[in-house]
Amino acid sequence: MRRVFLATASAAALTLAAGTAGAQCDPDFSGVTVTVGSQTGPFIASAMQMAGETWAEQTCGEVDVVEFPFGELYPKYLTAMLQNEATFDVITFAPAWTPDFAPYLSEMPAEIRQTEAWQDIAPVYRDRLMVWDGVHKSQTIDGDLHTLSYRTDLFSDPAEMAAFEAEYGYPLAAPESWDQYYDIAAFFTRPDDGLWGTAEAFRRGGQQFWFFFTHAASYTNHPDAPGCMFFHPETMEAQINNPGWLRALEDYIRSVEYSPPGALNFSSGDIRTAFAGGQVAMNFDWGDTGTISVDPAQSTVAGHVGSALTPGSDQIYNCLTGEWSQYDSVIRSPFMAFGGWQAAVPEASDDLQAAWHFIEWASNPENSLQAAITGGSGVNPYRFSHFETIDVWLGNFSQVEAEAYLGAQRGSLEAPNITLDMRLPGYFSYTEILEIELSRALAGDVEPQDALDAIAEGWDELTDEFGRDAQLAAYRASMGLPPM
Amino acid sequence: MRDPFKYIFIWPAFLVVLMVGLFPLIYSLTVSFMSMRLVPPRPPRFVGLENYVDLLASDRFWDTIGTTLFVVIVSVTIQYVVGFAVALALHAKVPGERLFRVVFLFPMLMAPIAVALVGRMLFHSTVGPVNHFFTFLGFPNLPFLTDADWAIATIIAVEVWQWTPFVILLMLAGLQSLPQDVYEAADLENASAWQKFWGITFPMLLPVSAAVVFIRIIEAFKIMDTVFVLTGGGPGTSTETLTLFAYQEGFKKFNLGYTSALSFLFLLTVILFGIVYLVLIRPQVEKRI
Repeated sequence: MRRVFLATASAAALTLAAGTAGAQCDPDFSGVTVTVGSQTGPFIASAMQMAGETWAEQTCGEVDVVEFPFGELYPKYLTAMLQNEATFDVITFAPAWTPDFAPYLSEMPAEIRQTEAWQDIAPVYRDRLMVWDGVHKSQTIDGDLHTLSYRTDLFSDPAEMAAFEAEYGYPLAAPESWDQYYDIAAFFTRPDDGLWGTAEAFRRGGQQFWFFFTHAASYTNHPDAPGCMFFHPETMEAQINNPGWLRALEDYIRSVEYSPPGALNFSSGDIRTAFAGGQVAMNFDWGDTGTISVDPAQSTVAGHVGSALTPGSDQIYNCLTGEWSQYDSVIRSPFMAFGGWQAAVPEASDDLQAAWHFIEWASNPENSLQAAITGGSGVNPYRFSHFETIDVWLGNFSQVEAEAYLGAQRGSLEAPNITLDMRLPGYFSYTEILEIELSRALAGDVEPQDALDAIAEGWDELTDEFGRDAQLAAYRASMGLPPM
Repeated sequence: MRDPFKYIFIWPAFLVVLMVGLFPLIYSLTVSFMSMRLVPPRPPRFVGLENYVDLLASDRFWDTIGTTLFVVIVSVTIQYVVGFAVALALHAKVPGERLFRVVFLFPMLMAPIAVALVGRMLFHSTVGPVNHFFTFLGFPNLPFLTDADWAIATIIAVEVWQWTPFVILLMLAGLQSLPQDVYEAADLENASAWQKFWGITFPMLLPVSAAVVFIRIIEAFKIMDTVFVLTGGGPGTSTETLTLFAYQEGFKKFNLGYTSALSFLFLLTVILFGIVYLVLIRPQVEKRI
């Protein structure tokens, strides 16, 4: 009897142990190391490391996050993929590089696209930025778009409200159009009080052109002419010198008037500190202005931070007809500046299954939410569930601030006329020409139209150099248009 | 009789030096005659002198040459004059000389990127103490980093701040090595301080001065971090130096053939400038020795 009991107990213990081991490695990737390429931390790299630790506990595999400065990422990835080397199992990269990387990337497994978590991703990422030529090649791991931040202590001040309405004839509120934006900026520009209307990035090499694109989206992203913003979608002729872009550049230059002294040297980091330091009444930026300015340790305006969609326009230029379209109301065209980091698996990876499993794990609703609310992770919301679980945002954010912040982000993502960033082979060659001429126009060295003409000429030369047909095909794919 | 075995021991080292030192240069020279782009990926293609011709016909290239030469000449001149003057003061044992000697070296010990960041904060338009000082005196807010002329002046100021200690250090070493009997003889002749400086110190230190200035010229040509952090080359390309231009072409556009040609033209510029400097300075050094 004693023997039977011992044998039964031993068998039960073994079964339990085996069951526990199985549960620890689900799925079992023991012995597998997934090498993840990332820009130097903490931004994005820390999110990958955080997910790597929990993934290792779950699967018994390992994650090795290899970090490089941003400038070295592109050549390192591309060189490895061109030579079919399994240097990286997962790469994290900018959406603008997708056209160059797509031929070397594996397709996302269909199983990942049949889950509830898949439906939770905002469609503009899921169906547009994660797709190249109709194939899902990458997974968004960070949401990026520009939203407006404004100081509610100023905008809700009865004296300010009364004075503004008396001067401009309409109530003071977050601007809906760029005309209102400049009215408000002018109203709050009071150098003697150390207060200015707004702050934008104007510095060459300081994310300048994404701020200009946000202005331009409102005037050039025509709802009835998809793909018309940057190039003509049939000829690949540069559109950057058309009347819509001219109006955007004139606006952008006008912003300098209402910005603090020396703003021409402002990068995006400077405009965040200008807002958080109470120097400006509003700005527009990625989600970072919001998270920094609600933190009392970094901000003098914490508790008074409002968020809204970036302004729009009731006139949009149509490059197909060559005419402005007039609308009854303002059309919002929030701009997905940069577009957020993507993760993908090169075909040459030693273990495609483990690599895609890691990406799915890092971007699942729970882990991505944890990354999004962790300061310094560089991850901004991109899933519907990120916006719905408001409680987790309540730390530095007050309830009102959190609702406004998430509302602005979600409202932008769901805006019917949301605008995608340019994604084109040779992206930085195009933007370099743009930056140089923008700097000249901002400094007053050249007239806005001359600057835009020079950019258009340079862009057309580049397009010819890179191959017009190939660039046109890539551009149409990036804009979700069918091949010609 | 020549021992052939000794060559067996020399050749490995010689080959290593050849591989490490010359191969990259030869490879880079070869690339400079090719069209080679990583973005978008293009198969390498031999284009002969096309990259060089394009560069020599480019206004941007000549602008960056002009900017670089201006920064080099003005900043090295100021560094030499100020550095020599401070070295003379320290050599004359001014009160607190030991403290100054250490403190003056701090900027040189810092990484150029850190110096540039300090400079950016000092000259910041709204929170920088330099602008605070000028506005306190009643001047308007000065566009140190956003106006082309002011920006160049600011870059030069930061360069001078960082590298004058190098001149001080070497000139002070030179001063301390000068023989004292010459000065004793001059004292017997009742020579004035200026006569001693112009007749003894300056000529005897001329070889050291020539070397110091030459080293600083070569180093100043490589200026990159300061410009990158302070102005990013802007407004437009008005403060863009040769190295920053090469960085933009090589690391943002990955236009490797063009960048290699640019690097060799940069090397040629430095060599030419160095030769002109040595040709001009050599007779003076030989005459004074």
